[in-house]
Amino acid sequence: MAELAIEHIARIEGHGNIAVKVEEGRVLEVRMDVVEPARFFEAMVVGRRYDDAPLITSRICGICSPNHALTSIKAVEAALGVEVTERTTMLRKLLVYGSFLQNHATHLYVLAAPDFVGLDSVFPLAATHPEVVERALKIKSLGNRLTALVGGRPVHPVTAVVGGFTSEPKALDLASIHDQLLEVANDVLATVDLFASFALPDFASAGDMLALVESDDYAIYGGDIESLDRGWRRPVAEYRDVIVETSAGEGHGNAKHSRTTADGRTFMVGALPRINLSGDRLVPNAKAALARLGLVLPSRNPFHMNLCQAVELVDAAEHCAGYIERVIDMGGSSKPATVELGRECWGAGATEAPRGTLYHSYGIDANGIITSGDVITPTAQNLANLEADMRAFAPTVADRSPKEFELLIEQLVRSYDPCLSCSVH
Amino acid sequence: MADAPSVAIISLASDFGCQVQITNIDPGLLQVLGLIDLRYWQLTSSGHMPEEYDVAVIEGAVTTDEHIELLRRVRETASVVVAIGSCAVTGGIPALAGTIDADCRFAAVYGEDATVTPGLHSPVAISRYIDVDYIVPGCPIDTTEFLAVLGRALKGLSNGMPEQPLCASCKTHGNECFMRRGDLCLGIITRSGCDAKCTTLGRPCTGCRGLAPDANLEAARKVYAAFGHDFDEVVTALDLYNTDREVCR
Repeated sequence: MAELAIEHIARIEGHGNIAVKVEEGRVLEVRMDVVEPARFFEAMVVGRRYDDAPLITSRICGICSPNHALTSIKAVEAALGVEVTERTTMLRKLLVYGSFLQNHATHLYVLAAPDFVGLDSVFPLAATHPEVVERALKIKSLGNRLTALVGGRPVHPVTAVVGGFTSEPKALDLASIHDQLLEVANDVLATVDLFASFALPDFASAGDMLALVESDDYAIYGGDIESLDRGWRRPVAEYRDVIVETSAGEGHGNAKHSRTTADGRTFMVGALPRINLSGDRLVPNAKAALARLGLVLPSRNPFHMNLCQAVELVDAAEHCAGYIERVIDMGGSSKPATVELGRECWGAGATEAPRGTLYHSYGIDANGIITSGDVITPTAQNLANLEADMRAFAPTVADRSPKEFELLIEQLVRSYDPCLSCSVH
Repeated sequence: MADAPSVAIISLASDFGCQVQITNIDPGLLQVLGLIDLRYWQLTSSGHMPEEYDVAVIEGAVTTDEHIELLRRVRETASVVVAIGSCAVTGGIPALAGTIDADCRFAAVYGEDATVTPGLHSPVAISRYIDVDYIVPGCPIDTTEFLAVLGRALKGLSNGMPEQPLCASCKTHGNECFMRRGDLCLGIITRSGCDAKCTTLGRPCTGCRGLAPDANLEAARKVYAAFGHDFDEVVTALDLYNTDREVCR
């Protein structure tokens, strides 16, 4: 008999409880309950002006706020038919990558790593392995500086609005961040090596994997939705046709669960599905890191999510440096484009948030007032798959000591990098 | 270190953004943590909520019976309570949910058949339930201001919050007035102390720091009317962070 009940599991974003019970190889109970209270963001935006949506929905998550703000902006722009300049798109991609650098560094070092070195938190490492903590802070603070430079501050960007940016970074400051991105190259590679040194359980998730894909770039800011197993590819505007979101059921708290419409399967989003689907579009250094890890693609092992996040750090640093060079060279303007109201409309937007694909959509009336709102967060998509993984994985490790059993289940949960406050938006 | 004041960082209903801002205190983060004995922080450590601590730093709005119970325990335990961020200080954006009928907001998110969860309240500021000793307003908090207020709290000094509205600080940045451009700006009634960050970056003030105690609301009402903004428009804008008019000032 292996049994586990944890309230308010630590080192994840938001509040959740886990319960697992296995008897003679049979799973009696598996639950990942979100105990965050319902927050009603989809109802809050209704009745407010279209340009309030990014400001309000950014507050769904202080951890990946650039993604929520930009996804909301993209949805409003899709609805109102607003076209933005290439310069605006480049600056927005920098914001998303800034979010990746911040989030992946925090998740890998502060939230995930302590599990693999037998610690409760990252703080004791400051005394024993200061260089590791310094490296984590260096990558994270670079992400912060990048989002602050482009967005005005690290949390809840100020300058990103419907149609463009209200203020732009100076070329000199961009050049300085560019150099810092090149300087961090060894630190992001060291992160890959650190996580490569941790022993990971061998386990395959049975669900599908979805991510945005673009034909000519590693997709983080746009593209179509693609299924790894079924191979279908659909535009973001059809997201509600390909994903079904349902209430998670009795006792699961206020989060929702998601399945694919086509075959009713649970699915995974995040760094592992992204690399499975777009690994060939990573920058050369990230591809080399992937090769050094010996990761055979496609991988179905959710514990590889950490490795993929580390590879994405390598990719983010180099990709950003390239985007900054283009922003400095290209000229043009990111001044907000003019918005024309006067008709009822609906639009959807999606970006890759650090922990997976994020969708927003809104209905807007002729006066620019929002009539409906819908948000599907990465964690709301992952929860059903995570539970299915816990159900399949728990019996395979039920013979371990209670402490080890708990650690392995927690490692599985943390590998998904769940954001539970997001999940109840 | 034995004498370092013990601190618990606690979160209610929020987006964790202010806690993220605390983790963004670099490179001073480690040094700050050395000055206090950080007993509890669910976001970063598996340790359990301790029986005793001196200072409670609370993020988020009060939304559930569990939150109310937790706050009462915290107030009995901690000698100092610091509310951080708009959610905790004014109710912030979560409190917007309270302006929508409970059945409607459940139906909008969970479908027509959904029932209202028992024990769930309209989100409100912490001070609606317990006495708060120090506030750090803003969405999100500014890390420098957080450290300054925490420092003042540890020394037993006053909160030190500016009481005048934003306009003077905005002017020192040489910003063109949004009101004169025809945009609605809440700077004339909002508490300063943010160094006019948003207005300097090209966006009108949305009032995340709450109303300035020194703001002349009657005069502001006339100014808004004179600039062509009807009262409903101002109220809608103010509701974003300040639906609770008694608490936000």
